[in-house]
Amino acid sequence: MIELKNIEKYYANKGVKSYILRHVTTSIKQGEFVSIMGPSGAGKSTLLNILGMLEEPTYGQYEFMGEDVVSLNERKRIELYRNHIGFVFQAYHLIDEMTVAENIEAPLLYKKVPGPERRSRIADMLDRFNMVAKSDLFPNQLSGGQQQLVGIARALVAQPSIILADEPTGNLQSAQALQIMDLFKKLNEEEGITIVQVTHSEVNAAYGSRILHLLDGVIKEDVTVQQTV
Amino acid sequence: MFKLNLKIILRSIWKNKISSFINVIGLAIGLAACLMLLIYVMYEWNFDKQSKDSANVHVVMTNVLDDKGKVFVTFNGSTTAFAPLIKREIPEVQYISRMDYGNMGLIANGINGFKKKSKFAEPDILKMYDYHFISGDPKTALTDPRSVILTESTAKTLFGTTDVLNKTVKYQEKENLKITGVIQDLPENSSNRFDYLMPWSFYEIVDEGARDLNWSNYSFVTLVSLRSDANLDLVNKKIDELVKRNNKQVSQPNFLFPLNKMHLYGKFEEGKSVGGDIEQIWLFTALAIGILLIACINFMNMATAKSEKRAKEVGIKKTIGANRRSLIVQFLAESMMLTLISVIIAIVLIESFIPVFNNLLNIKMSIPYFNSYIWLGLLSVVLLTGLIAGSYPAFYLSSFNPTQSLKRNVEGKGFFSFSLRKVLVIGQFCFTIILIISTLVIYKQIQFIKNKPVGFDVNALVEMPQDGQLVEKFELLKTRLLKSGAVTSMYQSSVNLSHHGSNFTGLEWQGMPQPENKVMFNRVGTTYDYISTNGIKLTSGRDFNKKYASDSSAVLVSASAVKVMGLKKPVGEVIKMFDTNFTIIGVFDDYIWDSPYQSNSPMVVYFNKVGTGAITMRLNASNNLQQNIETITNITKEINPSYPVEIKFMNSIYAEKLTKEKTLGTLSNLFGGLAIFISCLGLFGLISYSAEQRTKEFGIRKVLGASVASLMQLLSLSFIKMILIATILAAPIAYYIMIKWLDNFEFHTTIPWWIIALAAFGTIAISLLTVSYKAYRTAKSNPINALKYE
Repeated sequence: MIELKNIEKYYANKGVKSYILRHVTTSIKQGEFVSIMGPSGAGKSTLLNILGMLEEPTYGQYEFMGEDVVSLNERKRIELYRNHIGFVFQAYHLIDEMTVAENIEAPLLYKKVPGPERRSRIADMLDRFNMVAKSDLFPNQLSGGQQQLVGIARALVAQPSIILADEPTGNLQSAQALQIMDLFKKLNEEEGITIVQVTHSEVNAAYGSRILHLLDGVIKEDVTVQQTV
Repeated sequence: MFKLNLKIILRSIWKNKISSFINVIGLAIGLAACLMLLIYVMYEWNFDKQSKDSANVHVVMTNVLDDKGKVFVTFNGSTTAFAPLIKREIPEVQYISRMDYGNMGLIANGINGFKKKSKFAEPDILKMYDYHFISGDPKTALTDPRSVILTESTAKTLFGTTDVLNKTVKYQEKENLKITGVIQDLPENSSNRFDYLMPWSFYEIVDEGARDLNWSNYSFVTLVSLRSDANLDLVNKKIDELVKRNNKQVSQPNFLFPLNKMHLYGKFEEGKSVGGDIEQIWLFTALAIGILLIACINFMNMATAKSEKRAKEVGIKKTIGANRRSLIVQFLAESMMLTLISVIIAIVLIESFIPVFNNLLNIKMSIPYFNSYIWLGLLSVVLLTGLIAGSYPAFYLSSFNPTQSLKRNVEGKGFFSFSLRKVLVIGQFCFTIILIISTLVIYKQIQFIKNKPVGFDVNALVEMPQDGQLVEKFELLKTRLLKSGAVTSMYQSSVNLSHHGSNFTGLEWQGMPQPENKVMFNRVGTTYDYISTNGIKLTSGRDFNKKYASDSSAVLVSASAVKVMGLKKPVGEVIKMFDTNFTIIGVFDDYIWDSPYQSNSPMVVYFNKVGTGAITMRLNASNNLQQNIETITNITKEINPSYPVEIKFMNSIYAEKLTKEKTLGTLSNLFGGLAIFISCLGLFGLISYSAEQRTKEFGIRKVLGASVASLMQLLSLSFIKMILIATILAAPIAYYIMIKWLDNFEFHTTIPWWIIALAAFGTIAISLLTVSYKAYRTAKSNPINALKYE
């Protein structure tokens, strides 16, 4: 599904190049659950942003579902966001002025999904995340864990083939974090959604099927997780 | 999608109450002020444009030439012989009507008499103006000489109803006229207004001047309606030739000028229109746009200030699939929504304040709800304001890359927007300070003129028109009033003490430098007790006195007249007016009889028994004022029962001379106040946002030991700096504009430096107050609240 070849990213400052990513070459297949780990400043988030086409690599090749996306125009990129990619952020990034239900509905509106189907999909999501009673609340009336659930529901509602999550549990207590990770695992196993997450936590990484260890912008290790369960 | 967007817009308006309030209220006030001024501009602009064919109607103008053949004055008077000639000879002329200038004449239903504005005109006037007839036939309404057309309100005052066709009214106590029509009241913004209209043929019966067909008496107005395909220049050329051919000795050229331009372009120099009130219209339009601009700047500034927060929203929406267009639409819809709310509030504001405004300007305007232009205008204001105000977030923010905006690093890129904001704030305060300085200068000029001595004691002096029986029974009135003790002294004269000049040049005296006098003198005809009543200072000689029989050919002259004539010993000299000799018996100091802003022309007051028109009285100061007025009213009513008694106080007449400038002062006061209010509102909004953005920084600084004062300084200093810059820019501009304005007046005050200092200091003080409230609150807040956030 994702092919990265020799991805480089650096910022040139007064003639000195400071590298964020160097020679990153890897591929991620449909249905994988990949965790990107590494110390602060290793380039994890940058890699995820490049995967999400939020940033462009300075150099290198990136194919998403067989299509070269390095120099994709904005219109096509938005098409991809609408149909294939769901984002989950550490700071949730819900829209404050919208209720839970409206936040979940927003991607469907942009995707121009017809009304009846929209309603049934939202109902479905609310049901699945046990948030029916909270559908008319605003984000600031929810706890962090609940907000992140809404964030995930919003990412899922458009039925993406891949979810990109940047430290999804970074702002959460451990109990809530476990709940989110369980959810990811279930989505991955039962619905076959590809998941790429950035995390600091070994525990979280253990939920996935594969771990990419980054250090100073270079992939140091690429290990397959032995499922202990 | 649209519904959801709308819902979200309303929610976000509600959530950001302060900024929404500032935006909406500021814009509503700005819009209200702007629309009010524009309605006024429209009112003036539509002067004489109400009737269907108004574009074809012209007024006949006359150029008065001096002996070198140069035009030295242009006015809208014409002679009686002019109209019949051009109607016969010039085919382009469709309708033509001679009129008088209009007068206040008595019209009565039985004993029920009122002084109302009268007008005489030929029947063609009914074809030029499409008066709306409530009853009567416009084709025949003015054919019978003894007929009259009443306006609706005149009919109601006289009869209590408009159903008065074929009833009879009495004109000036003498003539019975049959009512042949009732028309709707004329619009306020018309030059030819009247309360009742009578046929020219009747005017010829009662007025000798109208009857006499001549080329020398310019006391009449002629309206000409040309065919719509006529070429005005060509017609004017024909008129010029025609008049010259028919009228060899008189050489005052006539020409036609569009009636609907007279009001705004009525200032002529050398026979050409050089503007007029249109300048005021431009001024008001500029003021209207300026005020609206100030409000729009607030709107834009708030939008740019909020951009950081909005940038995050843009980022999120983009990652869930929003494209740029949908974001642009959303931002624009939001600002249009705010504008729309402001427009609604603005209309409410105008409705409630238009009576005050009307009162202030002494006109009658209303919101023309049924005028499609107004709605079109409103719509374009909403669209334009919404577009300008919403353009920054809509077009700039929506272009952001989502990661940039999510990472909150917009500020680094926002250098341009920040300096733009600064420029806008400086512009705003520049305009405000200019208005404040103008207000102060206008106020000072009014005070200056007010404190200038008039030349006599205006208190306890009253006047009334010499109507009806008062002309013949003046001596009786004088005896009775003096006997009653209400009045200590009184006189009759050809014009009021305060008047516009009855100027003439035909004066001769001993030792004239040239055979013909070219200096305009003002003349007043009067009889005994002139000086003793009005109290004008005599510098030499004496007042008219019954003891001297020779006083029937005596004259008093003003000090400036003596100077012009160059007389060494004026008393006893003989001057010649209208081929009659007059002996100078006294010299009086010049007093203000016309405009208080310039020196008035030299004046001669000559003894003339038939020079009637006004009665001036000095009240007995030892009596109660109320009592005096009552006594005068009773006695006058007894002698002259048909006319209402109209007593006017001299001090209010002189106060009225300042009306125009006072209005200008009030207007600039009002709009200056509004401008500073809106500007400060915007300043408050900006500092609120700045404070919100820097909450964290302030928390850290406080933890590190910064004092409240230093934090306040940190927050306010940049704003105060901007206002200082605005002051420095505004002061010379305002100074230049006001010097120009003052140049319009011969007598004018100066602009001292303290006015500029006062304006600057006042503005800085008010804005400091605005800023420091918010700065203090922010600086005082507990640092932990700021730091635990995130």
